[in-house]
Amino acid sequence: MKKYINIACAVLLMTFVITACKKDNPIDEDGLLITSRQECFVSNFELLGTDFVTVRTKAATIDTTAQTVNVTVMFGTDLKNLYPQFTLAQDCKLEPKITGRTDFSDLANPKVYTVVSGNRKIRKDYKVLITVQPR
Amino acid sequence: MKRSHKYILPLVLLGVALTGLTSCDKKDYALPAAKDVLQNDAMKRTLGPSIVADTVEFVYAMGILPSKGKLVSAEVEATIEGATGTFLEHRSFYTNNTGTDIPVEVGAPSVSSKGITTVNFNKDTSAAALRYYYIVPEAARGKEVSFTFRAKSSNGETATYKLGPYKVSKMDMKRLIPVSDGNNMYISIEDMAVYNTAGATANPGKIDLVYLYRTFTSTFKHALVAPAADPIYLPGVTLPTGVNRDAKIQRVFGLQDYNLARLQFGIYIDDKDFETLDISNGVNYAVNMKAEAGIWIQTADKKYLAYVYFNSANDNNKNAVISIKRYAL
Repeated sequence: MKKYINIACAVLLMTFVITACKKDNPIDEDGLLITSRQECFVSNFELLGTDFVTVRTKAATIDTTAQTVNVTVMFGTDLKNLYPQFTLAQDCKLEPKITGRTDFSDLANPKVYTVVSGNRKIRKDYKVLITVQPR
Repeated sequence: MKRSHKYILPLVLLGVALTGLTSCDKKDYALPAAKDVLQNDAMKRTLGPSIVADTVEFVYAMGILPSKGKLVSAEVEATIEGATGTFLEHRSFYTNNTGTDIPVEVGAPSVSSKGITTVNFNKDTSAAALRYYYIVPEAARGKEVSFTFRAKSSNGETATYKLGPYKVSKMDMKRLIPVSDGNNMYISIEDMAVYNTAGATANPGKIDLVYLYRTFTSTFKHALVAPAADPIYLPGVTLPTGVNRDAKIQRVFGLQDYNLARLQFGIYIDDKDFETLDISNGVNYAVNMKAEAGIWIQTADKKYLAYVYFNSANDNNKNAVISIKRYAL
């Protein structure tokens, strides 16, 4: 009889352990984890040329209030073929996705990227304002 | 029954130990018996693409037991006759203890006829490793070429070794072209040459790039600019009459092609790279060029794609040395 009680207890304990480990981990349409984080900002920005070398003359200025990224690029930079790189707050993602070279040559109409928070409830549009180093 | 179980484990252990001991039993080493026929072997030493006018190096080894005979001749037959300068070494090399290759003459200098290059041995030689230098001829451009190596011995035996086929690239190459600001600064991809003002005036329709060095910003310096580019990229340059061609250009860094750079990097640009290259969205200038950087360029008439590599760049003398690989479209 004692043997059967022990087996029953063991099965019960295992059931508890298994159900306790089963968390509800929601993911979004990109397969990324949706968390509870509300932070939503750009923390760093890089711009590379076709040779994968930076085209910045100095570090980009990121204004999280005005939601702008100001970057000055070297004289002679090929603005049609640049690779932007964003560093975002934890668990954030960027829209649209950067899939390759991007054309930044239309300086009058700066590119806009949207940062989406970890909980996917906050969205902030960031303008990338490029200035070419004068002669 | 229970009692018999206690013998199983010791018996198994004994079995394993016996197997281990017997497996350690070595056979006495014996020198392998050499084959008593003429033998040969060959390999291609040059890596990367085979380019017209460039050298492809092979090494051909052959040997026979001294008791059987000696080497009489060695020859290489190429399916497409090599260009002038193709030869088979008449010296066999060994490497001494300082790593230097030391030649030992074994025959008369090679003679070539109708694609066959032959060395006749004139020393008592049982084994030799001869190098073969094939200068890729214009006739082989874009085609495949194979090689048959043959050795003959005094006892009448013949050994044969085949290598290939190897595809010869369509592209051209020109290395170490000096360019200098204000002098030899007009680059023609079509001619794979650099001209001064007089030369550019005589060939205005062939000039694709202008080399210049400027320091009005710290990021201009060595530049390659198409004549048709915005004049802000050609400050202080007065183009000769008729020099007005455009081009598509894309900067590259870290592409030290071995054929052009002769550095430690095992990178080779081949026909395939040009065939898959798309720089239709490129600009018509490249500034701030540095040593070991380069550009892809497509000429305005879309006849050529090329890679222009900076072997060196000298700020003080306002000059540079470039090398070009070019692919005709």
